[in-house]
Amino acid sequence: MEGDVVADLVKQLVKRILPSQANVSEKSSSNGDHRDTVGERAYQYAMRIIGSRIAPSLASDEVAMAEAIKRQLVLEGRSSDALTFADLHRRFASLSGPGSVENRWAVLYLLRAVSEDQRREGVETRGTATPFTSTLSGPAALGGLQALPKSAEHPKLQVPHSDSPSPSPSPKNSLRNGGIRPSKSQSASSDHGHQGGVLILSKDADNVKSVAIREFVEISQVDLEVTEAALVRDVVYACQGIDGRYVKFDKEQDGYVVDSNVKVPKATRVLVRRLCEVGWLFRRVRNHISESLEDGPLEAIGTVGQAFCAALQEELGDYYRLMAVLETQVYHPIPFMSGGVANNGGNYLSLRRLSVWLAEPLTRMRLMAVLVDDCKTLRGGAMAGAIHMHLQHGDPLVRSFLKRLMRRVCAPIYEMIRRWVLEGEVDDLYGEFFVVAQPVKAEALWRQGYQLQTSMLPSFIPEPLAKRILRTGKSINFLRVCCEDQGWARAAAAAVATVRASANGGGGLGYGETEALESLVVEAAGRIDRHLIQIVYNRYKFRDQCLAIKRYLLLGQGDFIQYLMDLVGPELSLPANTLSAFKLSGTLESAIRASNAQYDDSDILDRLRVKMMPHSDGDRGWDVFSLQYDARDPLTTVFTEDVMARYLRIFNFLWRLKRVEHALSATWQTMKPNCLVARLSAIKGDGVKSELTVVLRRCQTLRNEMNHFVTNLQYYIMFEVLEFSWANFLEEMEVAHDLDELIAAHEKYLGSIVEKALLGERSQLLCKTLFSLFDLILRFRGLADRLFENAREMDARSQNPTKQRAKKDFHIATLSGRKSSMSSLSGDFLATIGEEMDGVAVEYSSLLEGFIAQLPAQQHVDLKFLSFRLDFSEFYTRQHMSMSTTPLKFKRTPLKL
Amino acid sequence: MPREIITLQVGQCGNQIGMEFWKQLCLEHGISKAGILEDFATQGGDRKDVFFYQADDEHYIPRALLLDLEPRVINSIQNSEYRNLYNHENVFVADHGGGAGNNWASGYHQGEQVEEDIMDMIDREADGSDSLEGFVLCHSIAGGTGSGMGSYLLEALNDRYSKKLVQTYSVFPNQMETSDVVVQPYNSLLTLKRLTLNADCVVVLDNTALNRIAVDRLHIPNPTFAQTNSLVSTVMSASTTTLRYPGYMNNDLVGLVASLIPTPRCHFLMTGYTPLTVERQANAIRKTTVLDVMRRLLQAKNIMVSSYARTKDASQAKYISILNIIQGEVDPTQVHKSLQRIRERKLANFIEWGPASIQVALSRKSPYVQTAHRVSGLMLASHTSIRHLFSKCISQYEKLRKKQAFLDNYRKFPMFADNDLSEFDESREIVQNLVDEYKACESADYIKWGMEDRSKAMTGEGNATGSLDSRAPLL
Repeated sequence: MEGDVVADLVKQLVKRILPSQANVSEKSSSNGDHRDTVGERAYQYAMRIIGSRIAPSLASDEVAMAEAIKRQLVLEGRSSDALTFADLHRRFASLSGPGSVENRWAVLYLLRAVSEDQRREGVETRGTATPFTSTLSGPAALGGLQALPKSAEHPKLQVPHSDSPSPSPSPKNSLRNGGIRPSKSQSASSDHGHQGGVLILSKDADNVKSVAIREFVEISQVDLEVTEAALVRDVVYACQGIDGRYVKFDKEQDGYVVDSNVKVPKATRVLVRRLCEVGWLFRRVRNHISESLEDGPLEAIGTVGQAFCAALQEELGDYYRLMAVLETQVYHPIPFMSGGVANNGGNYLSLRRLSVWLAEPLTRMRLMAVLVDDCKTLRGGAMAGAIHMHLQHGDPLVRSFLKRLMRRVCAPIYEMIRRWVLEGEVDDLYGEFFVVAQPVKAEALWRQGYQLQTSMLPSFIPEPLAKRILRTGKSINFLRVCCEDQGWARAAAAAVATVRASANGGGGLGYGETEALESLVVEAAGRIDRHLIQIVYNRYKFRDQCLAIKRYLLLGQGDFIQYLMDLVGPELSLPANTLSAFKLSGTLESAIRASNAQYDDSDILDRLRVKMMPHSDGDRGWDVFSLQYDARDPLTTVFTEDVMARYLRIFNFLWRLKRVEHALSATWQTMKPNCLVARLSAIKGDGVKSELTVVLRRCQTLRNEMNHFVTNLQYYIMFEVLEFSWANFLEEMEVAHDLDELIAAHEKYLGSIVEKALLGERSQLLCKTLFSLFDLILRFRGLADRLFENAREMDARSQNPTKQRAKKDFHIATLSGRKSSMSSLSGDFLATIGEEMDGVAVEYSSLLEGFIAQLPAQQHVDLKFLSFRLDFSEFYTRQHMSMSTTPLKFKRTPLKL
Repeated sequence: MPREIITLQVGQCGNQIGMEFWKQLCLEHGISKAGILEDFATQGGDRKDVFFYQADDEHYIPRALLLDLEPRVINSIQNSEYRNLYNHENVFVADHGGGAGNNWASGYHQGEQVEEDIMDMIDREADGSDSLEGFVLCHSIAGGTGSGMGSYLLEALNDRYSKKLVQTYSVFPNQMETSDVVVQPYNSLLTLKRLTLNADCVVVLDNTALNRIAVDRLHIPNPTFAQTNSLVSTVMSASTTTLRYPGYMNNDLVGLVASLIPTPRCHFLMTGYTPLTVERQANAIRKTTVLDVMRRLLQAKNIMVSSYARTKDASQAKYISILNIIQGEVDPTQVHKSLQRIRERKLANFIEWGPASIQVALSRKSPYVQTAHRVSGLMLASHTSIRHLFSKCISQYEKLRKKQAFLDNYRKFPMFADNDLSEFDESREIVQNLVDEYKACESADYIKWGMEDRSKAMTGEGNATGSLDSRAPLL
């Protein structure tokens, strides 16, 4: 009932306010309604506002309002009016009883607002809409309920409206209204407050609001050429990479834009453009996928690329699903009033809604597009690595997305790793794996067969792990190819089982489970390496081979070397080109049979060969002869040609040293104590004898000196070089876990021998001196041989006539016989021999002096022991001291003959 | 071509120490008393063929000749557990079995008479070898057979096998107690001449020192011959280890000896061994490191040659050469440290006329012989102080000679027939000369010794002749 009254009142009000302007406003709305008049609509509008609960923020303070009016008047210079107002107000307020106005504040406010509106109206020429400046609290204050008619009618009234909570304020509208509105949301009929009673029309206040909003949207669309729905549809299309009616791909701008011919607000244009970024990105991603999968050659993409595309495809699948959902929603009209809401439950799309919908896909798509760009030129492990680089992202969304992606992208790589580590197969058709196999011969398999290709090494696999991976597979291949072993399969299976059993093993490998990978690799590597080492040790007897090399090439088997020296020595004095390798091999054979070497493993002995080095003119057998050890296949990995060449050098050095020792020993034997010549000195006699004694003694002491040098050098070589290095090598062999370590240990062993035996680069000078010393000693041997041969000859000649054994004559006869031989011996021969001996002695002294002096200069090896040994009794120190005053030449007492 | 070594055991003493030596070798090589390789002896690496050869039936037979003029010792060997070890063809016992009566001349003479038999045996052994390295003679210089026949054999070997090495293990008599062999100074002197002239290397085993060591070091109040002989066999087997266990160096006797004997005449070697045990007697286990062993080897109390030198002379004495053969588990790096320590402490005096050093040969230990100590060491050294031993021999000889005592025993034999005692004089001269040469080695001018020293030597000779002359009328 009350509602009717209010409605009636409002109607009257409308009629009063809008008697003639109806036509004007009618014109502005293009799709103007057929039946509603302006008045009707204004009425409806007013009613809705009355019914709304929009509350003013003003305090309902009557006194303050009155004051404000008064001040206003005063300001306008109408003080008398102000006084009049004060008087009127007083009387108005004093009124009481029936018929009096209760809501005095509201009345005052209304009056004021009206007056202000009128003032403004004066300023503004437009009269299209009646400004409503009012508060809405009236009905509330009256305790009445607001309501709006529940009609579904949408009167299209272009009512200036501001600050609506609609998601997108149409810029046009806000522009138009911005200036007019003072501040608040005000939309109420100014006079309903007077009515005291208010019609309650609406049950749901929220609905009311949204209805209002929708209405606004509807209104806002009115002046667009295209409806939002159409744009939304187009955007959805664009998001799928399809040109729409309005939204098309523009190559120039490189993106989807609303057709420039279509008139749309700039904001909408921007919005559409922004929304369509997804489409643009989508296009890129899709193009990449289709290019990769369909057009490009498989080699260029590789399995990782394929996995990547597949993963992208899957992600796009999600996206497509979203698109499908959106597409269904596109056809739900954008509702305006609550009726719409009821019908389709809010499943409609607007540009704004779309932007919400697309926000997440956009980031994902953007990410995908970035990845696609990044990976365009990359393949295999490099691609995985590149994607991995993006994973360092704070956004959990990005992270989880990338993790998901990586899991799929890396699957091929992990599969490769698995196969490589457990089966030793390079399962890599397209060169994506970070292990690259090269076709090489079996003996080079370990060193050159497989390489780490760092460009293909994904950054999430650390280098040491990669090396470990490389080695594990390499070990398998080595076992398979070089050792023809199958046992590794068991080791690999055991490794898998162990990893499975352990907690973190779980199942397969995957990205992000670096620990699982590591544990698998470590386990497999450990087992396979152990297996390999065992094979190398047990089946191929690595230790025995090393020992054999030490015994034969490094002369450890002394008796064998001695026989070889004895047997081969005479041969080797011949010119190199007359030597028959065949004959020497036979000699080698007999040396083996004669020595303890015969008890050695025949397998090892078979590998021992004579090797003749290429010779040039004038070379003697000594220069070209050497022994060779045929390490045979799997072990050639350790004993490479280079290694064997170094062994050869060491052999040659030791062999030469041995030869010198042998020569000195032979010299000793020619002048050994019980030899006739040595006994000569027993017989006292003339000066010749004493001269001979002196020459002999010079010869003996010189030999002793040389022997001392050679022996101590040998001791040094033996204790400090060979045995020392060997002991270290054995220790390292003990702890070597894999072939690489073994090779390194052996390298170190060999290197230390070479360095310490003065064969290294830095000891060249020393080595040269040493070799000249050797040559000199050999020369000395010839000299001594000559001396003794002559002496013996003389002796024999002198003895012949007195060969009878009559003791009595013997003494005298030999004495006299010898005397005569002495005199013949004494001639030029003793003198020349003595001189030569002196020359050798001087040369030897200076060479040795030089050698000893050079020793401390060898910083890189510890030769203290050598110099210490050589000068154990400080003989050379003393000699050096005395020499510092006398020149070298006179250091030795020259023989005076 | 194992560089075989043929051992000649001459006389009672020679056969006794020889037997001990073979016992030891058999133990070390895992050869049973009958000459069969034991089942456990599978660890190769040792060279048996230097001292043994294999008979058709795989028996290992020592390359040894057992020579004596009386059957007692050889019979005991042939009745011992080892009777099947030796080749019975290699045993020579004089038919008459009367021995040499502790008379050098008798031994020498008998040696001459049986030369053919013995040389046949030697030739047979030598022919059985691929590359004979030399001979080792075991004998004593005091008795009759070992000294006399030994001397003869030395000369004979020198004639026939002049290029082969001849090494002797010569037992010098105990001069601390009165010997039952009164003519031992004669015998010694005459043998010393041959050792000087006809041997390449003489390892001097001084019974005096061996006894002292047994008493002092091993705490055996009255050492038996068996006990001292086991010391000898220890030394002999240890000195041959490098030959029997081949390594980098010292694989042949010549090489070994060549670095020990720089000048041919000074070829008398002293030995020292540590730690000592007799007949596997369980000694208190001592700490044995390379340094300990090497240091102890330089101590006089462990040397198996008595030093008769006076303090003043002793301080002048010098090492001409030293070779330490260290057996056992030795870390090669320890050798260097030990050598350094020894030099720092100046524990060894070396000759000044040439470089010298302590050579160290590391050798394996037999895996079949269990010893309580990780490391053991043998020293072979040429030391000038040995001249005092020879001087002592000379002085004892002169004491006896002055009295013209017991010379009749010698005159019975051709060499000294017709009162020709020039052999004594010549021997004396040669030994004196040896002493002088050793003395000269102590000086830095040894190289020039031959020339200037002639006058000095001449005076020595003069003295000798003088004394000889003075004695001559007494004959």
